[in-house]
Amino acid sequence: MIVLKDKISKLSTNLSQIDEIKGRSLWHDAKIRFLKNKAALISLITLLLVLLFSFIGSVFAVWSNEEIDWSVLGDISTMGYPSFKTGHYFGTDELGRDLYSRVIQGTKISLMVGIIGALIAVIVGTIYGAVAGYFGGKIDSIMMRIVDILMSIPYMFVLILLLVIFGRSIFMLFVGIGLVSWLDMARIVRGQTLSIKKKEYVEAAITIGVSHFTIIRRHIIPNLLGVVAVYATLLVPGMILTESFISFLGLGVQEPNTSWGALISEGAGTMRYGTLWQLLFPLFFFVVTLFSLFFIGDGLRDALDPKDR
Amino acid sequence: MGNLYSLGGNMKKIISIFFALFLSLTFATNVFAAKHPITGETLAADQTFTYWALDEHSSIDPQIVEDVSGSDIIRDLFEGLLNQDADGNLVPGVAESWSANDSKDVYTFNLRKNAKWSNGDAVTAHDFVYAWQRAVDPATASPYSWFMDIMSIKNGGEAISGDVPPSDLGVKALDDYTFQVELTASLPYFAAMTTHATTFPTHKATIEKYGSDWTKPGNMVSNGAYALTEHVINERLVRERNPLYWNNENTILEKVVALVIPDENQGLTRYLAGELDKGPVPSGQFKKLKAEYPDEATSFPRLCNYYYTFNLSDSGIDAFQDVRVRKAMAYAIDRNVITEDILQAGQIPAYTFTPGATAGFDVPKVAFGKMTQAERDSKAIELMEAAGYGKDNPLSFTMIYNTSEGHKKIATVMAQMWKQKLGINATMENMEWKTFLDIRSKQDFEIARGAWCGDYNEASTFLDLLTTPSGYNDGKYSNAAVDQLMTEAKTLNDASSNYTTIERILASEMPVIPIYHYAGVFMLNTQLKGWPYGNVEQNWYSRNFYKVAD
Amino acid sequence: MIKFTLKRLSIAIPTILILIIISFLLMYSAPGGPFTSERPLPEQVLKNINAKYGLDQPMYKQMFNYVKSIVTEFDFGPSFRYKDRSVNDIIAQGFPVTLKYGTWSFIIAVLFGVSLGIIAAIKQNTFLDYFAVGFSISAQVLPNFVMAPILVLIFTLYLGWLPGGGWEGGKIQFVIMPVIALSTSYLASIARLTRSSMLEVLNSNFIRTARSKGLPKYKIILSHALKPTLLPVISYLGPAFVGMITGSVVIDMFFSTGGIGLHFVNGALNRDYSTIMGITILVGCLTITFNLLVDILYAWIDPKIRYDS
Repeated sequence: MIVLKDKISKLSTNLSQIDEIKGRSLWHDAKIRFLKNKAALISLITLLLVLLFSFIGSVFAVWSNEEIDWSVLGDISTMGYPSFKTGHYFGTDELGRDLYSRVIQGTKISLMVGIIGALIAVIVGTIYGAVAGYFGGKIDSIMMRIVDILMSIPYMFVLILLLVIFGRSIFMLFVGIGLVSWLDMARIVRGQTLSIKKKEYVEAAITIGVSHFTIIRRHIIPNLLGVVAVYATLLVPGMILTESFISFLGLGVQEPNTSWGALISEGAGTMRYGTLWQLLFPLFFFVVTLFSLFFIGDGLRDALDPKDR
Repeated sequence: MGNLYSLGGNMKKIISIFFALFLSLTFATNVFAAKHPITGETLAADQTFTYWALDEHSSIDPQIVEDVSGSDIIRDLFEGLLNQDADGNLVPGVAESWSANDSKDVYTFNLRKNAKWSNGDAVTAHDFVYAWQRAVDPATASPYSWFMDIMSIKNGGEAISGDVPPSDLGVKALDDYTFQVELTASLPYFAAMTTHATTFPTHKATIEKYGSDWTKPGNMVSNGAYALTEHVINERLVRERNPLYWNNENTILEKVVALVIPDENQGLTRYLAGELDKGPVPSGQFKKLKAEYPDEATSFPRLCNYYYTFNLSDSGIDAFQDVRVRKAMAYAIDRNVITEDILQAGQIPAYTFTPGATAGFDVPKVAFGKMTQAERDSKAIELMEAAGYGKDNPLSFTMIYNTSEGHKKIATVMAQMWKQKLGINATMENMEWKTFLDIRSKQDFEIARGAWCGDYNEASTFLDLLTTPSGYNDGKYSNAAVDQLMTEAKTLNDASSNYTTIERILASEMPVIPIYHYAGVFMLNTQLKGWPYGNVEQNWYSRNFYKVAD
Repeated sequence: MIKFTLKRLSIAIPTILILIIISFLLMYSAPGGPFTSERPLPEQVLKNINAKYGLDQPMYKQMFNYVKSIVTEFDFGPSFRYKDRSVNDIIAQGFPVTLKYGTWSFIIAVLFGVSLGIIAAIKQNTFLDYFAVGFSISAQVLPNFVMAPILVLIFTLYLGWLPGGGWEGGKIQFVIMPVIALSTSYLASIARLTRSSMLEVLNSNFIRTARSKGLPKYKIILSHALKPTLLPVISYLGPAFVGMITGSVVIDMFFSTGGIGLHFVNGALNRDYSTIMGITILVGCLTITFNLLVDILYAWIDPKIRYDS
């Protein structure tokens, strides 16, 4: 018996060593496969270009994002159109402020919102969902009821209270977004985990006494990454737009700073009044980013698919 | 009828077709023949007035209503003692005539005998007694019960506080058609106050039967020219001609529909698509719409002001205690840019707190109002330097406003003007409405947006705001001379010189920065006639409207 | 499964109670109250109003009375904002609206989304795939507050085919635009989740085995691949369905549909405590119900899933 036990424990160390090696090669393989995926690669480059634009674009700006061009104010639809001569490459907004500078500044905020929101969703949502699904029973039940409650409480009051208690800041904006972004992710991950944990390899790992934490880390999460990657990219546009709502309540971005969500909604409001560029420029950046994210998400999914190994 | 039923199916069909044809013919000829009885204009076949409402009204219970959109509906559904005509003059409503005693503290109204409720009951003085008692009854908990108090009705305030029962209110029915009110003080304009919805009669039996459900279509019994037929919250409210209204024969519009469209741009689109007869003009679009639709885009001055108030209480910042800083900031605002380039709809640049359109108020030529903007700017720089601020020692503060596209624009422009001219760093901070109100009323701000619409057409409705005891004085400005002049004004027959003096004091102390005075703007279908442009309070009655044919 | 369902339903009651308590605390700590206005009411008037609505009592008592009247009379109290109407009236009028356009949006989003996703996965990296992916992304990139006014411009102002808003009891011509605007973004998410999940399933061992046995492709997909494909999609659909039938503030605002989506946001802005509570409880009940349904569906799809630990 003792010998047998010994053997098993040896086997399990061996197994986890193999796992270790495989684990590394998983990421390595993924990288190679991702780089082979043309659409994903182009998208990644596009996204980096957008990012780059948000950092160096302001070098070419003639106007700052808050300066009002008094000469066009009052007659935006005939004077504020995009033009190199006036230095308003993207035209001006309703107040005669340079849209080029505003888009650059809005891009920074919105990308940050999208990335941080997605990170919170991926990290918190994945761990939470995996733990709930893996342990099941009472733990699952309690954890998921907490999600049910968080999904139903009047979110606006949470935001209003955040504003009143902590004052406004960009940091509080991320808290506001982070609070909700992970909920759906947690539910999806937990659902997948319920199914994965009944797979043979997980059951085998449990039998040979691999620790719960290791199983979640080595077996559950890698198998979740595909759906997590896709869902995370789906979440981003929603969060970028949610930002403008949070700012509406007074939390988050304040004038003269702006964001894609704010620019798009302003542009949409005036699209009939002969100032269509106010909608099209911010929308263009938003759309390009979304397309890129979608293909990156898909590329990641394909690259991370453990069965393709 | 028996004969008809015995006829064969075909025959029945033929008869019904014939009938329908006959009806439609008579109807059609009637319509085409329809002319306005006085002007002789040809009337449109469809006499439906559909108008845009930004928000759902809070109530259509006359004693409870507190907002303008609710009052607009109530003026159609109910009729009070007196009405206003197109110029705001008093005209008889349910009361045919009224009189006051010499000391103007007892008013007697003689009611018409042909006024009826929509269920056929006669409208009597008892209905008014019931409604007025209901308005002050603490159990009704009307947010507008204070209106009965400022009407100075005997025992009004006491009844609201529950010190005396509502039945002790100083109103009584001398007989079925004579209604008498006893006041605690002489009030020359008392009769005019009975055009307000809070004083409209309500039908006791209906309210007792249905409780708070009495305002639902089907339950509601009302005495106005129209009766409620449909109401869906946040979507629509429909009222149709009430044939039992005493003056029904002179009503031309058949149906009035209020559509709630919470987005102005969407409202305008639907107006242009022909779904509305009266629609909104989104902020900054008036000039263009006026050029394109000159007969439809309408603008007129309103009794409202728009200002920023300094927090002068202890919680405010020290810099604003310095009158030079306050003046410099007020001077540096180019109001013409705001009214002509941003608002663009006939708003008036404001250098006084009270709008010039207010009756009996001479706009004083305050010093900074007479200057050119260039003069004001150089004066502002001078004052700011004298106060010890400049490019190297910039003044910084936070300005708060409630979330709205329009407020945002004005705040942005103001902040830029201050920054460029005076080197001031103003941080803009928007908040949703209730948070904003809470923060402002607690003096938890440095400088805040404010606006005020007159309750009545007299300067005190504005200037009271800046007196020490006023509950609306969020900036906590306090000046004994202003308080004294305002107290004195209440007893004077003509207080206009007091008001002018106060405005001069305000211009020299600048507790608030007046920005502009409002204009009302809307799009109105040219087919719709009878809009009371001359009524500054914009109290309109649908029964005075009619639609002419194209 | 019956035992599990009963157990979950019994947890639902304490969950709702916790939801009520949290929401009460949140609402009452937010600045301002239902009767805060630009013109503060005279003290005595405010006192009368507070007494009428029971706001003069300590909070625990208000909460107790509130729960009591729901349990004993199913009465959610009067609206603090629309003073002639009760919360029961508001929900009875507003919920059928959102239920109708939400259900239609759901049906369309699921039908099109799932089919597009499956087609894209089966025909991976072909023209059909790109078309399906392109279509679903395009459907998502226009935020609904841009889509809604564009729809109205096209179908109402330019073509004159559809009324620009309103509901009129839900006649078809009033339902079309809200359904288009609401379903598109969900459609895109569903399509993409389905596609990635399907790809993952098609790569798994048991499908490979089935293929190597020479089973026809459509048979493999319908009888083997479809069920596991839907697992992550269903996790997403539970909360998505609740979100759709409880309406969207954008839809209710732009199309003046009078649904509870706008009531919920307005209720929070107006501090209409009773309306907020009523809708929160409705959302809570729906969330719990549909998440339970999702869990039951899981067990049906993957019979190995067990909810005990």
